[in-house]
Amino acid sequence: MSSALGNFPIGADYAALLPAFIVACTPLAILFVDLFLRGSSMARRAIAVTLAVIGLLAAGALEAGAYPHDYAAFGGAFVQGGFSIVFSEIVIVATIATLLLSVGVGRTDQVAGTTSLVLWSAAGAMLMSGAANLMAVFLGLELLSLGLYCLCAISSRVTARESALKYLILSSMASGFLLYGSALLFGATGSVAFSSLATAPVTPLFALGAGLFFVGIAFKLSLVPFHAWTPDVYEGAPLPVTAFMSVVTKAGTLAVFARFAYAALPPDRASAILLPIWVLAAASMLVGNLAALAQTDMKRLLAYSGIAQVGYIVASFAGQSVLGLRYAILYLAGYTFMNLGVFAVVALMSRDGDAVVGLGRFAGLAYRRPWLAAAMTLFLIGLAGLPPTIGFTGKVLILAATTSAGYAWLAGVLIVGTAISAYVYFKIVRAMFARVDPAHVRDERSTNPLPWIAVGVCAAATFVLGIVPLAPSNILPLVK
Amino acid sequence: MTLTALVLGPIVAGLLLYALPRSATNAARAVAAIVAALAFIAPLVDPSAPDAAARWLSRPFTASFHLGFGPLSYWLVLLLALITFSAALTLKGDRAREIAAQLLVLQGAMNGVFLAKDLLLFALFWDLMLIPVFLVLITTSAHGRPAWKYLIYNLVGGLTLLLATAAYGVLAGTTDVIGNPTAHFSVVSAWGLWIFAGIAFAFLVKTPVFPFHTWMPETYAELPPPMVAVVSAVQSKAGLYGFMAITLPLLPAQMGQAQTLMFALGLAGLIYGALAALGERDAKKVVAYSSLSHLGLILLAVFSGSSLAYIGALVYIVAHGLFSAALFLALGAVEQREETRDLARLGGLAARNPRLAGALMLGALAALGLPGLAGFAGEILILTGLFKAGWTLAAVIALVPVVLASAYMLRMFQGIMNGPDVPDLPERRDLTWLESLAIAPLVAAFVWLGVNPGALTAAADRGARTTPPAAITSSVAVEAPRVVSSR
Repeated sequence: MSSALGNFPIGADYAALLPAFIVACTPLAILFVDLFLRGSSMARRAIAVTLAVIGLLAAGALEAGAYPHDYAAFGGAFVQGGFSIVFSEIVIVATIATLLLSVGVGRTDQVAGTTSLVLWSAAGAMLMSGAANLMAVFLGLELLSLGLYCLCAISSRVTARESALKYLILSSMASGFLLYGSALLFGATGSVAFSSLATAPVTPLFALGAGLFFVGIAFKLSLVPFHAWTPDVYEGAPLPVTAFMSVVTKAGTLAVFARFAYAALPPDRASAILLPIWVLAAASMLVGNLAALAQTDMKRLLAYSGIAQVGYIVASFAGQSVLGLRYAILYLAGYTFMNLGVFAVVALMSRDGDAVVGLGRFAGLAYRRPWLAAAMTLFLIGLAGLPPTIGFTGKVLILAATTSAGYAWLAGVLIVGTAISAYVYFKIVRAMFARVDPAHVRDERSTNPLPWIAVGVCAAATFVLGIVPLAPSNILPLVK
Repeated sequence: MTLTALVLGPIVAGLLLYALPRSATNAARAVAAIVAALAFIAPLVDPSAPDAAARWLSRPFTASFHLGFGPLSYWLVLLLALITFSAALTLKGDRAREIAAQLLVLQGAMNGVFLAKDLLLFALFWDLMLIPVFLVLITTSAHGRPAWKYLIYNLVGGLTLLLATAAYGVLAGTTDVIGNPTAHFSVVSAWGLWIFAGIAFAFLVKTPVFPFHTWMPETYAELPPPMVAVVSAVQSKAGLYGFMAITLPLLPAQMGQAQTLMFALGLAGLIYGALAALGERDAKKVVAYSSLSHLGLILLAVFSGSSLAYIGALVYIVAHGLFSAALFLALGAVEQREETRDLARLGGLAARNPRLAGALMLGALAALGLPGLAGFAGEILILTGLFKAGWTLAAVIALVPVVLASAYMLRMFQGIMNGPDVPDLPERRDLTWLESLAIAPLVAAFVWLGVNPGALTAAADRGARTTPPAAITSSVAVEAPRVVSSR
């Protein structure tokens, strides 16, 4: 059928993209319904978020139904399979959690708009998770980033403009690197498809193109030394947007990186080309955790902790083993729950769900709000890699993957980074269990109870995934 | 079922204690004591409980939630339950509920460490042990230093153990190997030594062995008495248990290669601990440093390759657990009464508090190795074993600190109990019946084991026959020509 029509898209091609389409089209419904709502009623917020969640759940159900069926749509530009589906599901879960946090943040007349922007960004990340040629990667990346440029600026805080401008300029620069790298790769091989890049000879032009492509990726993943923008942007952006960026942007970019590293590089030269990336991952684990030691603002701390956590995930890809890919995905899922759990706790600690939360606000939390402190302790224990959480199990599996792939030095750096991170995370635990005079601590409670759902789900997932580590087994093929 | 309950029961009970109101000191104490007593009775009633196992990981290596009694672990579980029971009875003050809760969580985690038959599960409980102690340390110590020292030291140990476990799992294909001789995979490649180093570092830090002990005196000094009794009596044995039950069967050749180093560390700890205890003014730190000295002796026994010393090691592990718990609980009673642990500020308490003096005396006598008490039984077996195995010089050097033990223990006892009355010390009542009830089973146990260590030596003998300690030295002898021929 498809041979008779050449590369002309057929119904099945569109079906593969349907979940992303749904996520991208739900905003049209949200914006349309919002036209008929007036004032600043809670209903207006609730309707926008409910529609968005329905759209996301529908997309998630469709993706789950397709697992692990694989199909290469649009002449191989978008490969639907276990890999893209798992990443898409992570994006969907993270987006729903973000929306739960966002109810009550910002002005009511903006909610339909901001919800739409979040969904478009999520659609971009879903595209990236299946993108198997350079054009599709760029398309997904830009769709993801464009929404975020606006979202960063939405808050009325002074730092929001700075955050948005910084993100716009640096992220555009990263896109520029990525695009230039893609152009050079196309020039060197005459093709944009990952599968044909893998069979091309490695010329200097190819190496330069791959290098620039990786610089763009490293910027988006905020690997050291391309991480400087992250803390500032995280600090200025509204809390739900920060939560979204810390998971969805990273998930989408990791999907692209993994597919490129595994499928687009000539197998015999891949380990040499990728070596600098493992060095960057090692540097991220160390620098991210060391810098996090000095932070007193939760968002900045989480920015640096995220830099280190992504370092762990990237390290899992070392040696391009299939096991490493599985455990990277498992750890990413775990990181998604632990990190979003922390963000949900922070959201519950400010009245509007978006105040600046310094570490001092955690003092004595265990005695004022024991459930919140218990959940937070579980998330922090998980991020520090201690049992009984997915942080522990995931880390063991990453260690096993890296050592068996012959990158024992990377496992050693991971151990050192984790040891440093213990101080970062347990500093907060210590503050929560410290006895303080309640009069000296500002105790704000969020008016929006929905983040509690996120806290509960994330805590359950953090624990259960540690006991039953459901690493996806059907994640191949990456290209067809 | 029994085994699962031994691990999960205390943890769940501990977490449920948080549902009690904060002021319910008596209820918290009662719950903790009952749970500990049940954990003591369960192994006695059901000594041959079947293993509990459930699959955890299938790839990249198989791992299971596999719990089972071994010859050593059976006794350590009993020891832990007894000491937790005693510790729970001495709980008091406004933090009793939190400490009771964390005490039970710690008991569950440590039961997990001793009962785990899977290396990865062992590592999981090993790391889990950290959390309750850290949570208690941060609430009791005024400044954070001891808590951080404890956490970072032990976490680094836990992480090297984890890395070694992962590497072992990848090489062997499974981590479900503890106490299962048919599944043992002997690592002969260069990896073996790295894996052993990772595991041994964790064990040495946790024990602790000189020079990784610097977290220990501060931690012991800052922890509340019930917690420190459990930590010093049982948690410090986790590393030694690990050497006997895990590395001895799995990595005997590597243990042989490390033998000289470990003897050096053990002897250094023996002497340094004894001298530090002689010079220390803080009574709790005297006992802390004496532990460093005693545990150094057990390390020698474990690495000597002698079956007799191996048997002595188990006897001394249990004996040290009993008398160090008794000492710390008695010192806790002193500190609660007099609000100081400084030997220079204490004195003459025996006249007013005869029961407290008696408890401290018995603990001190057991610690200095008085014949007829359990400490002596362990020491004599270890020293004889060392001597018979040809470690004459080490046995002679080890004798010196064993003698010094009399000096520092009596110095501590005299500093607190004898001498003229110190005028500004507050007058307090003697041990209450509850406190006496807490220390009595410990005293009874080390008297009984001192007179009749037969049950323990029989268990250790079974352990020594399934995994002969001589494998350490023999595997060196076997491997040496192989190394030469491969060149």
